[in-house]
Amino acid sequence: MNQCYGCSTCKSADKPLEEFIAGLPMETSHHRVEGQSTKCAFGLQGVCCRLCANGPCRITPESPRGICGANADTIVTRNLLRAVASGSGCYIHVVENTALNVKNTAKTGGEIKGVHTLNRLAELFGIEEADDHKRAEAVADAVLRDLYLPEYEKMKLTEKLAYAPRYEKWEALGLLPGGAKSEVFHGVVKCSTNLNSDPVNMLLDCLKLGISTGIYGLVLTNLLNDVVLGEPEIRFAPVGLRVIDPDYINIMITGHQHSMFTFLQNRLTDEDVKEKARKAGAKGFKLVGCTCVGQDLQLRGAHYTEVFDGHAGNNYTSEAILATGGIDAVISEFNCTLPGIEPICDELWIKQICIDNVAKKANAELKEFDFENRPAVTDEIIDEIVEAYRARRGHVPMNLLKEHGYENTLTGVSEVSLKKFLGGSWQPLIDLIVSGDIKGVAGVVGCSNLTAGGHDVLTVDLVRELIAKDIIVLTAGCSSGGIENCGLMTPEAAKYAGPKLRAVCEKLGIPPVLNFGPCLAIGRLEIVATELAEALKVDLPQLPLVLSAAQWLEEQALADGCYGLALGLPLHLGLPPFVTGSKAAVQVLTEDMKELTGGQVIINADAKESADILEGIILEKRTGLGI
Amino acid sequence: MRRIIVEYEKCDGCKNCSAACMQAHRETGGTIYDLDLTDPGNESRNYILKDEKGRYKPLFCRHCDEPECVKSCMSGALTKDPESGHVFYDETRCGSCFMCVMNCPFGVLKPDRVTKSKVIKCDFCVNAGGEPSCVASCPKKAIHVEEV
Amino acid sequence: MKYVIVGVGVAGVEAAREIRKKDAKGDILMISADAQIHSRCMLHKFIAGERDEKGLDFTELDFFEKYRILWKSGVRVKEVCPDGKEVLLDDGERIVYDKLLLANGADSFIPPVGDLRKASNVYGLRNLTDAQAIVKEAEGAREILVIGSGLVGLDAAYGLLERGGKLTVVEMADQILPVQLDAHGAAAYQELFEKAGVRFVLGRKASEAVCEADGKIHKVTLDNGEELACDLVIVAAGVRPSLACLEGSGIDCERGVTVDSCMRTSKEDIFAAGDITGRSGIWPNAADQGRIAGRNMCGVEAEYTDTYALKNTINFFGLVTLCVGRIRPEEGDDIRVKEDRTQYKRVILKEGKVEGVLLQGDIAHAGTWQYLIKNRIDVSGIEKDIFQVSYADFYFTGEKGEYVWA
Repeated sequence: MNQCYGCSTCKSADKPLEEFIAGLPMETSHHRVEGQSTKCAFGLQGVCCRLCANGPCRITPESPRGICGANADTIVTRNLLRAVASGSGCYIHVVENTALNVKNTAKTGGEIKGVHTLNRLAELFGIEEADDHKRAEAVADAVLRDLYLPEYEKMKLTEKLAYAPRYEKWEALGLLPGGAKSEVFHGVVKCSTNLNSDPVNMLLDCLKLGISTGIYGLVLTNLLNDVVLGEPEIRFAPVGLRVIDPDYINIMITGHQHSMFTFLQNRLTDEDVKEKARKAGAKGFKLVGCTCVGQDLQLRGAHYTEVFDGHAGNNYTSEAILATGGIDAVISEFNCTLPGIEPICDELWIKQICIDNVAKKANAELKEFDFENRPAVTDEIIDEIVEAYRARRGHVPMNLLKEHGYENTLTGVSEVSLKKFLGGSWQPLIDLIVSGDIKGVAGVVGCSNLTAGGHDVLTVDLVRELIAKDIIVLTAGCSSGGIENCGLMTPEAAKYAGPKLRAVCEKLGIPPVLNFGPCLAIGRLEIVATELAEALKVDLPQLPLVLSAAQWLEEQALADGCYGLALGLPLHLGLPPFVTGSKAAVQVLTEDMKELTGGQVIINADAKESADILEGIILEKRTGLGI
Repeated sequence: MRRIIVEYEKCDGCKNCSAACMQAHRETGGTIYDLDLTDPGNESRNYILKDEKGRYKPLFCRHCDEPECVKSCMSGALTKDPESGHVFYDETRCGSCFMCVMNCPFGVLKPDRVTKSKVIKCDFCVNAGGEPSCVASCPKKAIHVEEV
Repeated sequence: MKYVIVGVGVAGVEAAREIRKKDAKGDILMISADAQIHSRCMLHKFIAGERDEKGLDFTELDFFEKYRILWKSGVRVKEVCPDGKEVLLDDGERIVYDKLLLANGADSFIPPVGDLRKASNVYGLRNLTDAQAIVKEAEGAREILVIGSGLVGLDAAYGLLERGGKLTVVEMADQILPVQLDAHGAAAYQELFEKAGVRFVLGRKASEAVCEADGKIHKVTLDNGEELACDLVIVAAGVRPSLACLEGSGIDCERGVTVDSCMRTSKEDIFAAGDITGRSGIWPNAADQGRIAGRNMCGVEAEYTDTYALKNTINFFGLVTLCVGRIRPEEGDDIRVKEDRTQYKRVILKEGKVEGVLLQGDIAHAGTWQYLIKNRIDVSGIEKDIFQVSYADFYFTGEKGEYVWA
């Protein structure tokens, strides 16, 4: 027998990674898929309720109601609302911290790296402060004020940020959100035991939470981050396990809150800190990107070329990244930090540090982010990491995979950098869409999971199908991490596109899949969509634009998805969000939503079929536009 | 004899039957609430398999009319009870050769996970009055007992 | 009707059970050299001291009463006389039969090397008496030599691990368990045995063994000249059907007693089952042969059809292995291997069919492999990893809820 932990690992779209994981001597999530493969159908359908002591109750033909009388529709939508409220809470936590960091940076006269973005926000919000720092503080305050409003008071910035036709629609449907934190509270109350039993009422709440999540959690988080961390610039960068350079002290970062790393990033390139690394025998420090905060750093990588090595992989690559032995510490501040990394960190003596209490890992040291004391806390963290480096190097075996990934992946795409790339106007893109050289746009966003065919399998297969149909793909989230590690974001990937899209890509020297970065950047995709709609003078649902969260994973993704539906966009999911047990929920999400917001949910786990469906929708929309 | 009849089309894969089986055969007393689902020593005697199309196919000991396991037992541990027709396993006589595992054409049998010295074998819950716990626990009534 | 069964191994016992099922009135007499019924597959447990003699019995405690069987133990059949329908025992008694079953098994084969056949400290491991003698001889034995590393040889070594003597196993092939396993699977057992203190000499055979004054062999010389000291020698070089008593009987024999598919010999009313037939006598098959013979002896026609015998399970030190079908790869095979720290699995596929499987470490639910192999089931159409193929892919239930292969 050999040293492999287990020979049954799940498939991955990333074949070298699949092989690497199958050969590891430690357990990863990929090993655990098989053991969890028999899924409880009640759970899958969302018809298991354990909200009270009479439960768990499950819906069967013989017992169509729980003891309390709740039927499948109530149980399913209650479970869904819980998940959406929880997911929204996550994003609202992220934007709250980001706004606080912008505010504190501004108050202490810290560096404003993204003045353009600041000006854009100030203009939108109607803030007229001449001083950059005062202007930034006022912008952050405006966001925070909205977040903290009660549920019965509508947030002020929604109207300023939303596309007008959408805003009117939401207003008409009664979907305008009150204070974002209060909306989470409201949602949680609503789906508790023996309160709401009206499936449609709860589904509308999901949409409302989607709006507050999208505008605040997504759109604003990106822009606020740009203010303090710098704006994305288009460039080529390496991705994959190849980015790990064992000559450095390597810190893997996971989470969603880039602004928490502002100080650390800068500190790691200070001469006195680099000297600490050199004394320990390393050339210096490197941050290795993982999950969405890694995508964020990659996106803004132009500003951090010295300290940032590149993005190594998504959530379900994190265990493999650690298993290379080349990582000395993990700093995490949010999800998607898998509990499964803990035993690997223990085994390989990798120091785990959490800087946000909400994501405290069992074996990590909690060093809460403390703006005021950030110099001291940051230095403590650095010293501990140097200590870990000294202790582990030489004792822990290296198992690097230098050939993994790609050297020239296009990154730094944002609503601003892309427009700039096109010459400062969306017209060239619109022309290409009108001419049919680009049939349509698909946002392939969200997470990575291991069950829709395997790790990134459906996502990558779907992207291949879409680009072959001349549909350009824009990505955001862990899906990006998987797609880029499979090589679809290099200019050479143009060859996988259909003849028309291929010609466009080759002419411009770009890949057929453009990476906007973290899941937060779904907000940026929305800005692109809005600006295109504005230019065409149509509403969002009329655009030949579709969304797919093919391998959605988490509750956050469901909140994102609700935003997509509120925007009136078709949303494809590879696996159903535990709703299929309710005929009402399925009817509303997949059919009635078209009338309600213009959106619709499409559930399909087959890449080819899904691409055909999405293409069909795009063609319909083109017909609608008369192109 | 009485046999557990399986209607696989009704199975939803919730594994309640497996949990009930573990509960019925646990060595320590207690209720389903404190059944230690992390203890490898708790093993179910029934299994929910999936076919290539992902359909659940419950695998339960048939207590066969001509049991291959009994025929292959070299220690006398496995016997077919002439009265009930059920195939019983006497752990104390078992020689741990696992020829029964090899010979069960349906792959129902397996060695125990921890010591690899016993066979995990359905006993029709004879100690619980001969009413199989799995049957009682199935929310979909995909399994029931029938005189055959 | 008088049924006489020679031998109380599994073939004889199963035949007796079957006869009693079919014929409630007939007389059944069993004759055995064995003083008690015992399972040969558990002799190592007796040697190891894990079980006493009684613990080796594989039948009901009241077997002879329950099936109303007369039993003459401790005697051997000296001669079979088909013409007079009688057998002559070594105590001089003549027993008349209407139907006779020869189920007296086989004897350990001791190769004609030096004085191996005449020394008093050389044993096979076939019967309880062998095991008893080995235990006795092992007391005070400092060096124990086992010749042959098949299942019987390793059983002997395993049983003797705790008896104190230093164990050496000599094997002609360049791996242990050469008939059952590939080199990789065998190495796992070799390592476990070596950790327990056993020394293996592979690729060698005994070429000389001289009896000393005490009538024992104290050293065995190998074909490379190496000398191995020994106080006790166990020879596990296979068995030969016990045909001695059939000399002059006119019953056709080749390697063993020739039988047809109904287990009938060339002489009327004489049947044979188990190792004496020279057909593969692994336990389940011997049991089947016994049952078929029993049925036919009662005039109920039955045929021995499930003859597949290329199968084994192994369990030493808690490492379990199952091997069914072909072990040695051939050209054109599609070989699939999976291995991790807890298991090693190998499947040999040819033209969409499984021809051999070897599972080590985890044999849970592995019974389906035998069915797939012996019935030459085409698995190429199943869109699954071959190691995930299970009865689920052939699932069908009959009218009485029995499983049927679809």
